[in-house]
Amino acid sequence: MLKHNAIAILLAASLPLTAHAAESYTVDPMHTFPHFSISHLGFSTMQGRFDKTSGKVTLDRTAKTGSVEIAIETASVSTGFAKRDEHLKSPDFFNAAEFPTISYQSTALHFKGDALASVDGNLTMAGVTRPVTLTIDAFKCGANPMNKKDECGAAASAQIKRSDFGIKYGLPNVGDDVKLVFEIEAIKD
Amino acid sequence: MQIPREIELQELLNHPAVQSGLVPFVVALIAAELFQRMRLSGVAIIAGFAATVYLASDFSIEPLTAARKIVLLGLLSAGLTLPLMLFNPRWLRPLLTVAGGAAAVWVVLRILHQQEMAHMLLWGAGCALYAGWLVFWFDGLNDASLRAGSAGMALGLGSGAAALFGASALLGQFGLALGAAAGAYLLIQMLTNSPLPCGRSYTLPLSLIAGLSGCLAVLTAELPWYALPVLAAIPVAAKIPLPAKAALWMQSMLLSVVTLACAAGAVYLTWRIAGAPPL
Repeated sequence: MLKHNAIAILLAASLPLTAHAAESYTVDPMHTFPHFSISHLGFSTMQGRFDKTSGKVTLDRTAKTGSVEIAIETASVSTGFAKRDEHLKSPDFFNAAEFPTISYQSTALHFKGDALASVDGNLTMAGVTRPVTLTIDAFKCGANPMNKKDECGAAASAQIKRSDFGIKYGLPNVGDDVKLVFEIEAIKD
Repeated sequence: MQIPREIELQELLNHPAVQSGLVPFVVALIAAELFQRMRLSGVAIIAGFAATVYLASDFSIEPLTAARKIVLLGLLSAGLTLPLMLFNPRWLRPLLTVAGGAAAVWVVLRILHQQEMAHMLLWGAGCALYAGWLVFWFDGLNDASLRAGSAGMALGLGSGAAALFGASALLGQFGLALGAAAGAYLLIQMLTNSPLPCGRSYTLPLSLIAGLSGCLAVLTAELPWYALPVLAAIPVAAKIPLPAKAALWMQSMLLSVVTLACAAGAVYLTWRIAGAPPL
């Protein structure tokens, strides 16, 4: 009996566990940039990004479940023009002193075949939480050819209205519609 | 579909200079005249300020950000002045001073919580001192409408312009609205050569909103802390002796020159650090 149990345990241990268990990933801040773009008086579309992002991703591609948890340092906003960055950090826009973190917490992941297709979740910005669905425009998992570590990468996008988050300064001259693009890489733990 | 004239009006009302200059000025002119018989011309300040908040921001309180706390406290303080007209004990002035300081700490509490203990105490005490100081000294001007008018105009314009240079347009608009409203209140006195009723309906909301906005601009924008003592000198400067026989417009001019010099000093200090406004 003991011998049979030992064989069963050995067999179970030899199964490819990763095919069934949720895999945990840590966001690689060096290759993760949340971008945004917004109309400026209707003349041009201004681009900005956040330079400091952290987070955790779990994926179970067999069960097609998982979670995404992203934290963005509000004060790391960068548009390539220091004075505008200061203005964006002020209470007129992101209010970085009061709300130092912008966060995204998923509620459901949707797959199309093996690939992640969209993520439902809640975006919290300037103290306001609203549901936001991220469309996954590109998704790839595999071994990084440089360091041989397993990782996943994705390009996610969403369209939001800043007024939904109480950021109303300059409306309607400075656009209300904001396009968000998250370029993200996460390394397997 | 909107007709062109409506669109033009909307565009006009969306302009920051109209929102924080023209509209509060006109609203304050009307309010000061309208409430003169009730000896409440001081409500011109909160009327002008509320008009700017309506156009440039909103009156919602969710989430209760520091800027929204300022709007809330400004409106509450204006409402409080009516019972304060009937109830005026000797200890009211120190009490209002302490309440002003406590209000400043409440407004910036979320920001203070994110600081190290030493910074938290320093900034908290500094904000309380600045707001309390303004409330105390402006309260001393509540029976001197000309001095209160000049000092209010200078404090509003100085706080607003400095906040604007310091990269916070909303706080800038708050201050400029106070300045425009106080300017309207002063102009009526200059043109009619007779003083308007003042009281705490003028001094309390003005000093509180300006004090809290200045403090918040230091913590959330690029207003240097040392601009605040220069702004704090405004109500003290408004105590200068005046030629008693001079016409009111002449006295107003003298007071405005002195107080606006302080305001210009604060704006200059901010400009040196922050540069031009982000327009």
